[in-house]
Amino acid sequence: MFLSAAVRSAVSQTARQVRGLHQSATRSAGGLFVHRDTPDNNPDTPFEFTEENKKRVQAILSQYPEGHKQAATIPVLDLAQRQHGWLPISAMNKVAEVLGVAPMRVYEVATFYTMFLRQPVGKYFIQVCTTTPCMLCNSDSILEAIQNKLGIKVGETTPDKMFTLIEVECLGACVNAPMVQINDNYYEDLTPKDIEVIIDELKAGRVPPPGPRNGRFSCEPVGGLTSLKGPPPGPGFGVRSDL
Amino acid sequence: MLRLPSVGRTLAGAAKGGLAPANPVRAPARAASNMVEVFVDGKPVEVDPGTTVLQACEKAGVQIPRFCYHERLSVAGNCRMCLVEIEKAPKPVAACAMPVMKGWNILTNSEKTRKAREGVMEFLLANHPLDCPICDQGGECDLQDQSMQFGSDRSRFSEGKRAVEDKNIGPLIKTIMTRCIQCTRCVRFASEIAGVEDLGTTGRGNDLQIGTYVEKMFMSELSGNVIDVCPVGALTSKPYAFTARPWETRKTESIDVLDALGSNIVVSTRGGEVMRVMPRLHEDINEEWISDKTRFAYDGLKRQRLTQPLVKDGSGQLTPTSWEEALTRVAGALQSVRGSEVAAVAGGMADAEALVSLKDLLNRLDSENLCTEEVFPMAGAGTDLRSNYLLNTRIAGIEESDLLLLVGTNPRYEAPLFNARVRKSWLHNELRVAMVGHQVDLTYTYDHLGEETSVLKELADGTHPFCQVLAAAKRPVVVVGSSALQREDGAAILSAVSTIAQNARTSSGVEDGWKVLSVLHRVASQVAALDLGYRAGVDAIRKNPPKVLFLLGADAGCISRADLPKDCFVIYQGHHGDIGATMADVVLPGAAYTEKNGTYVNTEGRSQHTRVAVTPPGMARDDWKILRAVSELAGVTLPYDSLDEVRSRLAEVSPNLVRYDDVEGANYFKQAVELATMVNQDLIAAPLVPPQVSAKDFYMTDSISRASQTMAKDLRFALIVGFKFLLYVSITAKCVCVCVCVCVDVVSESCQWLKRS
Amino acid sequence: MASAAATRTAAGAAKIVKPIFSRDVDEAKRRVRELYRAWYREIPNTVTMYHLDITIRQGRDKVREMFDKNKNVTDPRVIDMLVIKGKIDLQETIHVWKQRTHLMRYFHETEEPRANDFLSKFYKGHDP
Repeated sequence: MFLSAAVRSAVSQTARQVRGLHQSATRSAGGLFVHRDTPDNNPDTPFEFTEENKKRVQAILSQYPEGHKQAATIPVLDLAQRQHGWLPISAMNKVAEVLGVAPMRVYEVATFYTMFLRQPVGKYFIQVCTTTPCMLCNSDSILEAIQNKLGIKVGETTPDKMFTLIEVECLGACVNAPMVQINDNYYEDLTPKDIEVIIDELKAGRVPPPGPRNGRFSCEPVGGLTSLKGPPPGPGFGVRSDL
Repeated sequence: MLRLPSVGRTLAGAAKGGLAPANPVRAPARAASNMVEVFVDGKPVEVDPGTTVLQACEKAGVQIPRFCYHERLSVAGNCRMCLVEIEKAPKPVAACAMPVMKGWNILTNSEKTRKAREGVMEFLLANHPLDCPICDQGGECDLQDQSMQFGSDRSRFSEGKRAVEDKNIGPLIKTIMTRCIQCTRCVRFASEIAGVEDLGTTGRGNDLQIGTYVEKMFMSELSGNVIDVCPVGALTSKPYAFTARPWETRKTESIDVLDALGSNIVVSTRGGEVMRVMPRLHEDINEEWISDKTRFAYDGLKRQRLTQPLVKDGSGQLTPTSWEEALTRVAGALQSVRGSEVAAVAGGMADAEALVSLKDLLNRLDSENLCTEEVFPMAGAGTDLRSNYLLNTRIAGIEESDLLLLVGTNPRYEAPLFNARVRKSWLHNELRVAMVGHQVDLTYTYDHLGEETSVLKELADGTHPFCQVLAAAKRPVVVVGSSALQREDGAAILSAVSTIAQNARTSSGVEDGWKVLSVLHRVASQVAALDLGYRAGVDAIRKNPPKVLFLLGADAGCISRADLPKDCFVIYQGHHGDIGATMADVVLPGAAYTEKNGTYVNTEGRSQHTRVAVTPPGMARDDWKILRAVSELAGVTLPYDSLDEVRSRLAEVSPNLVRYDDVEGANYFKQAVELATMVNQDLIAAPLVPPQVSAKDFYMTDSISRASQTMAKDLRFALIVGFKFLLYVSITAKCVCVCVCVCVDVVSESCQWLKRS
Repeated sequence: MASAAATRTAAGAAKIVKPIFSRDVDEAKRRVRELYRAWYREIPNTVTMYHLDITIRQGRDKVREMFDKNKNVTDPRVIDMLVIKGKIDLQETIHVWKQRTHLMRYFHETEEPRANDFLSKFYKGHDP
């Protein structure tokens, strides 16, 4: 084994026969793109919109003209996911029924968008960004902290079905790197200690306030403003005096 | 070289400007016709506004390579193979999706275009497996052909290829999804033509795949067409898998006889064996689709065949014998009878040549007892007026109509391509469909008016609310299923329907050429038989049992031994050992539709003929030849020895039978209605339920499809799918019978004789 | 006038063809007679050499029949060609380059006459 590896490396050095082997695991965001019946995800999984949500569905549908109800697929799927936490196949079938379209048309949408979760997730769905800017700001330590804290690896759910951890690509908050998204909330400018605190809070049943953790209000520069410090200059600012 | 076209165009423009006064006629003509002039490689073409670049090129005679574009499906524009350069455009455009603009110069063979094609081809091949040697599409693969023509000779892709899990979508279609190039033709076919939205694309990016997402059978009666539509080997035929290569098969252009539409087919044969059946283009009948039964029932041509003459011996067993002996027995029986003592029944797959020979033979024996198995009301005008039994509107005529009333029929399974045509019209021409009869899934929505015959009466009287819609229609069509006319009160139904049609006709004020009343038949031979003067239905035989009964491929089981006197001598001539053969005293093996030159008239009255693709198995012979030989031995020799002579006899009896691919229209609708009003028959209250209600009734309707294992498998799948449904619905005795038959069929073919006798 | 002359020359040109051996029909006929004589003399030898189950008379009748088959040929070139073929055949026969079957083939012993009526064709096969 080692010998052959050594031989191969020697060969590759001498002949420069570079074979770009795909080293990192291809991580499809949503797992499989076919459905497999499991005990908790099958066409008989109970799913029904609550009375409240039924009204919401009607409100959503009323925005679209007759014959174009298919356009409501994404909002209604989102509603179903918010109600159930994730989207079992029965929920997708229900959405298709509500919209009056073929189930396949709903599956197409649900599999396309990574934010539709077709596998069961815990109550808190932790998405750690590990794309370059976050990685440079040491997102690996955040990930490690979460893993140590919860005792799960990436892609796993805690046995109490409270937390699910996955690694995701850029969530568009690079200026506040490193960051984590938990359900709908962004927690930014994290240190490993911060994330532990957040998880403790969640475990205690409280939702900590989202946003940066290093005292910033939003995405302003860390070391205070570097420009636009004074009051805005009035009209005529910078205009030649002889005009 | 590249500059030449533009130079030519400026020159032409200058010339036009200069010569404008001298040539005053052409310019206004162009302006009036509202055509757009574009140039394909510098060659001017005039096209309608809104034409795509690809169509304009087609008009100029330039074929643009394509994968996702299919002229009968909506435009997807996702394969990018049709990229072409347009002069002065910043980047290549997808020809299939881009409408042309005035004065564009489309460069179909420029450096940029070629480079674009090569690039797209390289991307497509990056994830395509190199398994052409074991791929069934090999030799007729668009990807293979186009990569040879437009692709590069090498790839720069050195990573691992994507692999996709194969889907199980039923016993007819084999999927090798790794080969898929995501053109989505099958998805569009399923949702647009077949009307079964089971296929779709799941996932995104590199993980995008075609499938059903959930494990599911692609339940459509037109499902086989996705095999033809697929440009690569991702969807191939399961029964045909690994059996033959396209270059080693011989193709024979023929006609399908498993339903009454007469779809045009190509029979691929190798070494005297039918390897597969594929559709052939005919715009007025099947476009380029065929039903699954047409496509996959061919394996029934190799099973249960009658290969030698059989004669019943002393112990009542059918034993193989020679033609001489069998024919002598038949001739002896025929010689001993005269007039009404002999009768004949023609089955659903008899060709016109055999029908005319049989009629001539019996007429020479002074008998007029010639019937078809399919019942048709004989009261009123009956079959005397052709307008009464044809699909007068024609299949393509549906596209021009705006209102279709279906009566007691389920076109989805009785005539799948007629149904596809209706769906097409429903989808694109806003055809409104209404139905009197059992509520079934037709793949399009319709107004269900009820399944009682009283609805028909109300419609005829004008008291039904739907009559207003009917009256407002511009080009109404009323289609009545042949099964509805086979009830006890068939004549009354026909009378009611023709009254409805006549009323709709007068109220719509449509021009004279438009025909409203149409009959949708289910068997291929019926129209030819009625044209030749056969009587529809076997009632006459039942009432007046003959001493000798000649069954010409009569396998529907409408006459049984119980209806006949004990000493009745039954002769069966046909190609399958089915219901008819088991009750016969003498069995004469005939040829199936792939083995003879036979004339068939489809339900719209279009005469077409099959061609010999393979020779009949064993000692089987052409049907008309058998009858000709019988006639000679019986001492009433028929005056024709060759196919041409039989056909000239056909022309004598009914000239339309030999005017191939020509529809002889029918007239005398008014007279038919007048005669129909004289029918003294009351509608009975029983609901109008066509015999083929769901998919399970589709696959085994005749002797060929009953002998087909593929059809049996399909039926079994259909039954599994419909199992839950069956549990709740009261299971009729017939249904149970079918289930039992199928189980036995699948377990062992040899039990068939036992179980039926 | 000119066209008539042209026709004449054309006709003259058509007449003058390169002979194979014989210049006219008479000469060709002489060659035929020679060949016939040779065959006639050879038949007894042939019958014995090949152990043919025919009489000499039958053999000579067959030779005459084969010659008679071409009796309406008048073109000396064609006659010459036939004579050449006949000579080849004769030589092959004399040198026993042939076998029995090749000779007996002239007598069509194993050939069955083709059926003409519909019924026999029907019994015979699918499409004879």
